[in-house]
Amino acid sequence: MDKAIIDLEEGTTCTAWNYSGHRLAAGSTDGTLSVFDSTDPASSVFNCSSTFKVHASGIVKVVWAPPEYGDAVACICGDGSLLLWEEVVEDSELPNWKLCKCFDKISSQVLDVQFGVSHTSLKLVAAYSDGQVKLFELLDPFELKNWQLQAEFQNVIESVSKFGNVSCRSASIAWNPLKGEIQQSSFVLGFNSDMPQLNSSKVWEFDQDHQRWLPVAELALPTDKGDPVSTVAWAPNIGRPYELIAVATSKEIALWHVGSNPDPDGRLSVEKVAMLSTHDSEVWQMEWDMSGMTLATTGSDGVVRLWQCNLSRVWHEQAILEPTS
Amino acid sequence: MPGLTSESDDLAMVPVSPDSQTQPVVIYPLRHGLKSQINRLSISWACGNTLRVSVFPKPPQFDTADGSGDGEAGGGRVVEVKLSNSGDDKEVDAARWRRIAYGSVTPFALLQSRKHSLSAASRMSLDNPPYKAEWWEHVIEYSKEISSLLSDRKPPPRSIIEDPKLVVNEIAEPMCLKAAWELLEIFYVDKQSQSWIPERLLDWLADNNSLFSGTLPTIHSKLVDFQQELGGVQVVEEDPNYWEAMSSALAVGWLETVVKLLRLHGSYRFDQLASRETENGLVEAVAVLIYKMPRMRPSLREENLGECYKTKPDFLKAWEKWRAQISKLDCSSYWFQCDHQQTREGLKILIQIMLGNPSILSNATFNWMELFISHFLYVRPFTAGLESMHNLAKKCMQSKPVSSPHKLFGLILGILGENTEVVLAECSRSFGPWMMAHAVELLTAGSAHAEILLHEEHSKLGGVSIEELHRLVYAQVLSSHALTWQIAPIYLTSCIKQGIGLLENLLYKQPVQHSQILLKSVEICRLYELDTISSNIMRIAGVHHWKHGRKGSGVFWLQQAQDEFRLNRIAKQLFDFMGKSVSDEGFKQWEGLIELLGSESRTAGGLEFLNKYRDFRRSLLQVNGDTPTDAARNAAEALVSLMKNPSTPQRFWLPLLYDSLKLLNWQERLLLNVSQTQLLLNKLQELSMARLRPDFVEADLPSDALSSVRLALATNLGRAILEE
Repeated sequence: MDKAIIDLEEGTTCTAWNYSGHRLAAGSTDGTLSVFDSTDPASSVFNCSSTFKVHASGIVKVVWAPPEYGDAVACICGDGSLLLWEEVVEDSELPNWKLCKCFDKISSQVLDVQFGVSHTSLKLVAAYSDGQVKLFELLDPFELKNWQLQAEFQNVIESVSKFGNVSCRSASIAWNPLKGEIQQSSFVLGFNSDMPQLNSSKVWEFDQDHQRWLPVAELALPTDKGDPVSTVAWAPNIGRPYELIAVATSKEIALWHVGSNPDPDGRLSVEKVAMLSTHDSEVWQMEWDMSGMTLATTGSDGVVRLWQCNLSRVWHEQAILEPTS
Repeated sequence: MPGLTSESDDLAMVPVSPDSQTQPVVIYPLRHGLKSQINRLSISWACGNTLRVSVFPKPPQFDTADGSGDGEAGGGRVVEVKLSNSGDDKEVDAARWRRIAYGSVTPFALLQSRKHSLSAASRMSLDNPPYKAEWWEHVIEYSKEISSLLSDRKPPPRSIIEDPKLVVNEIAEPMCLKAAWELLEIFYVDKQSQSWIPERLLDWLADNNSLFSGTLPTIHSKLVDFQQELGGVQVVEEDPNYWEAMSSALAVGWLETVVKLLRLHGSYRFDQLASRETENGLVEAVAVLIYKMPRMRPSLREENLGECYKTKPDFLKAWEKWRAQISKLDCSSYWFQCDHQQTREGLKILIQIMLGNPSILSNATFNWMELFISHFLYVRPFTAGLESMHNLAKKCMQSKPVSSPHKLFGLILGILGENTEVVLAECSRSFGPWMMAHAVELLTAGSAHAEILLHEEHSKLGGVSIEELHRLVYAQVLSSHALTWQIAPIYLTSCIKQGIGLLENLLYKQPVQHSQILLKSVEICRLYELDTISSNIMRIAGVHHWKHGRKGSGVFWLQQAQDEFRLNRIAKQLFDFMGKSVSDEGFKQWEGLIELLGSESRTAGGLEFLNKYRDFRRSLLQVNGDTPTDAARNAAEALVSLMKNPSTPQRFWLPLLYDSLKLLNWQERLLLNVSQTQLLLNKLQELSMARLRPDFVEADLPSDALSSVRLALATNLGRAILEE
């Protein structure tokens, strides 16, 4: 049933699996990254294939780049810097991890980063501690060092003026996990900050005609708009006519249906379909399974909760996984 | 498949019962084996229903106040949790489960294709009588195949000399999954047996009674106990267990067991036959009556006793005659001549059972299911229709309540109660996604209500029917394992709404750097015409190989993916490389790659240049001092063709001309005519203009390269004009 598959080094603070679940990157407080590989796809035996120092400060979060762009990870470090490392083989040597990009840390720290993929371009969205959101685009599919800043904005629905002096504790980004080229690339983003206007989760979509990013939906009821968002998760869509997005705040986990056809103002219809109790704990992570039917969550209560929707359209807690030695 | 533990729900299921939210949430242990306190968890879904949880312990300084920690290294651990059972159950181990999974693919796929062709022939409705009858046959065939798959255990070799004292002869170990499948088959599919359902249930109980023994008192366990005792008993008819065992076996219709036991009676022994003649006569009379018990069924199984009657009137006549014979025996005066008290009382009980005495039947049976069967046999042999069966079952349950109902009981009650929702919920909860994906065909074939319920598309489920939902869930279970994911597409492609979407996600998650998996994935894509996802996985493979030093494989897979964007980028990288160095060594390194890149004609113009360039380089390499002029002429032709070609990048012009100096200065004879030379001079002129632009990249050549080329061209032009 449950089986230990990898022993992590002391000081490991974060892990991330690659797209197929056959490689694990584990970041540590001393700034080293370890990569574990399974040699045989049928077995769940993993060996550490590389360990290397990424940065002087500890690694806070690791995110794999989409496999269409190679074996690469983005590391957010304790000092708020963002680095891209890639595994390459040069001159018939063994695979080697190389730093390919260090995003300059100017004044603010990177809080979250996620890659969005289409087959001709790779995008990277980063949320900063000063409330800024930056979108970078990769210029050359084989060179993970050449990034261009495509857009920079704040997570607000009506951009009247820029909010200054914002302090954010955390941010969470989730791309639409769609794998075609037909739909616009879009992502959802929420903040936990001292500026209520920035907090609520908004869905951002790229407007091809005007070459800019536009907020197309806000996932919060009028009374909850200032609630700090701890994490968001966009469910894979295998054929639903609407999108499904989970948003966790300090109050609850809300599940939203987001329509696909914009109204004349360019906004998408949204409907809050479920409020799941967080049992007075903070939710740190939410993950949808590959069908988008089960949501797994974990947080300060130290357990994994699994949520499913029954045939009466009621979302409920299906099971709890409780760690025990 | 059965759930996480044998008693609990399977997480892979999507609950059907509407009251599921009122049930308490099941808590499962996540055994990580770490001694330190846990600080944080991190979760990630792998393929299917596999969840990986990283467990991070608290840093040592938090463990103790003095910071010394508990001495254990504070490393974390990653635990993999398979949320759907595929082999950890007691009943079905992993290998057997895979055998069932693989074995059920063909019957399922065949039934689906038959459904397609039938609904095409009948214009979308299977309700038309000829098609319906045909469909029934297909479903029965399917059901039988699955059923035989579930009982694939070989019976132990039979001993040639039969043991007369062997009462319980187990030829195959029953399985809950199969028992449940058979129940569905009896009630939903096998229309021919509708008139003898009680007899089928009797067979079913005989086959599966041992399944209940773990949780309930059963006749089977009673017989097993008695069997053990039997070896040591000298005078069997004086043992009360002997008579109890027989009355229990008779109550549920295990006639052959009863007759076998009766024949162990001491009055049959040679030395006693004379003294116990009457007693023996009574025993034999009961045995004969048991032998002649009328059964309303078309045929009996090989080992079973009784007399078959196919029609109700025949059976009724026989039944009444049989009952009259029993009553006659009951009132016989021979009983007074029987001295053996236990025999007299024991046989009387057997007679009462055959006469359908309710209290005796109740005493002889151990749970409501057994009582239910005994009522069919001896009290109400003509019970028909689910409603009356359900009422009888309820009555039996009242007289023999169970504290922890067996999972098969829930299923039977759901079927008898004609409650499709309960049947689905019971199947799902107790037997898991495999059952749900495969049994739906039986339910929809046998019940109009079930058909509507299962085929109706639910907007709240994102537009899928319950039937499709269960197939998706099962496919996800299959996806969880490296050895079963390949059969998931069969089930996914039978889902019209969301199957392809899930299949794409499944294919996208395959580790395609392993060539076997890549080939398998590509084959699946080709089979189901998933071109986009096919390109995508070939692109992933191509990029992986390219970046891991296997340039040729990389280019091959990118070409298969028709990824011109990346191929052009590779071509550009080759240009860049060759623009820097045109040494022979460097050329050899890239020559093969150019060959590969150029093999596809549809790739962009840049590659055409690379091909021409390769030809030029080859011919130039053949040219040296003592080469015949023809070779030199060919090289010169290649040069002109290259320079004429608009796709030749400008930054190559000077290196090309510089490399060709020996052609321009060919002493033997002139290789370029006037117009050709002028073309090259014009290009040189264009290049001089371009050098003024800020983005011009200077080729890595000697400083006098341009002047020596210009001089050579000028000389050549002079010679050409003179010659013409």
